[in-house]
Amino acid sequence: MGFSSGVRIGPFEVFAPLQPAVSSVRQYGEHQFPGRLFVVEGIDGSGKSTQLSLLHKWLESKGYGVVFSEWNSSPLVKDTTKLGKKKKLLTPATFSLIHSTDFADRTERSILPLLKAGAVVLCDRYIYTAFARDVARGMDREWVRELYGFAVQPTVAFYFRVPLETAIRRLLDARDGFKFYEAGMDLGLSDDPEGSFRIFQGRILEEYEKMIPEFNLTVIDATLPIELQQAQMRSIVKTQLACATELRVQP
Amino acid sequence: MRETYGKLLPGLRLPDLAGKLIVIEGTDGVGRTTQINLLKPWLEEMGHAVVDTGMTRSLLAGEGIRRAKEGNSLGRVTQTLFYATDFVDRLENEIIPALRAGFIVLTDRYIYSLMARAMVRGMDPGWIRSLFQVALQPDAVFYLRLGIERLVPRVVFSRGFDYWESGMDLFPGHDMYDSFCSYQAALLAEFDRLSEEYKFETVDASAESKAVCGHLKSRILRLLEEDSRKTFLTKLSLGPAGVEARKAADKSHSQEHREVDDALVLVPARIPAHTVPGNGHAALQQKQ
Repeated sequence: MGFSSGVRIGPFEVFAPLQPAVSSVRQYGEHQFPGRLFVVEGIDGSGKSTQLSLLHKWLESKGYGVVFSEWNSSPLVKDTTKLGKKKKLLTPATFSLIHSTDFADRTERSILPLLKAGAVVLCDRYIYTAFARDVARGMDREWVRELYGFAVQPTVAFYFRVPLETAIRRLLDARDGFKFYEAGMDLGLSDDPEGSFRIFQGRILEEYEKMIPEFNLTVIDATLPIELQQAQMRSIVKTQLACATELRVQP
Repeated sequence: MRETYGKLLPGLRLPDLAGKLIVIEGTDGVGRTTQINLLKPWLEEMGHAVVDTGMTRSLLAGEGIRRAKEGNSLGRVTQTLFYATDFVDRLENEIIPALRAGFIVLTDRYIYSLMARAMVRGMDPGWIRSLFQVALQPDAVFYLRLGIERLVPRVVFSRGFDYWESGMDLFPGHDMYDSFCSYQAALLAEFDRLSEEYKFETVDASAESKAVCGHLKSRILRLLEEDSRKTFLTKLSLGPAGVEARKAADKSHSQEHREVDDALVLVPARIPAHTVPGNGHAALQQKQ
């Protein structure tokens, strides 16, 4: 063993006594890492994913080590979420918890260690998605915020603000129909998927609006031309990278 | 009157939960499962309907947790939340419907095991408590306690070492025996702390399992008697007319709540009011 702690419990010597109740999990806002974390938020059809992928390509071309993490993509958890959605097993509470489990795995496995290593981490949806959706499903506002207390605070959180009608038009153009949980069909708001989507996403928009001052979200007008939105995003990101030149990876 | 630990799940009405929630807690290897297997038929013989549940038995997350534990890359926050998902799924789909139907729910571990495990892994105690605010306060928590010197041989000689029971995620590189002793000792210390905070009834688990069971039975009987006496006394003091009036009042009260609730909240689609507790999952699986 190499060392002795001198602590004995019955006949056993404890080699490294644990200290229960001493927390080493830091809370939102307390993290200081060399890396940078940029996240995009907004309702479906706001164009946030398009913008993030353009930013990704630009950062790579500049020589930064960039890593992308998507909502609901943990290899450990996503099968459970898929099962819950497919068989419609999820209640507002378990919907909230399984998504936080997925997020925790991505935080512990990739987001946090990569930020420590100095990477630029890009997230398509972050904790604010959970705050908006779970509260719209009737979960307690405070409880959900506390649930995600272990999250790393982003360097910048972009919120792509779009009117509901614009988002619906974009979604209808792109594909047919709305998904069950995405439209909030589990809430029994309306039998018609589009009607339900309208009510549910409307509630989500309200929650996002309240979060702009609460979490200092950076608002991007998502009705502007794509190029213009991207230019705004890049100029904001640039200022955050200026003092972090060591992030550059040699090509 | 039933209460939660601080937060109410959407759509839940506490006065509806007439059954009894009895928790058997304790570290690995203290004989919790043995006791539940003895208590259940005994309660049923007396005419009580019983549902038993335990960790990772949820339809939603049980399989996912088992798979995640096969690879040894389950982080501590993820682990805590995965187990919390499993717990809430069973709470909403087994425990609550059973209590609503007047069953006795025997649960092998409850939130306290999850709390102890998370705290030993260095999670923030405030965070853990807030997570489990949605849990119902049980009617009784029996804490089967075994000192570390008795616990080690019992576990090790009966089923050998398990990676997670030995806390190997906390002590990579150490052998399982050393790790097991340290981990279980820390858990025990945490359980003892929780026992004070949550007022567990501690039961010495070093005795023969029959003796332990005898002790549990007498405590449970007292709990059930107390309850029936209370109901009886209420009826007595109110008189038959009073009982009717009370019933009517309760009814209009709950109806009021229902209207408010329906406007805001969503009753989980999986629990129809007529669900037979415990069979919900089976019926669901048959449908697939």
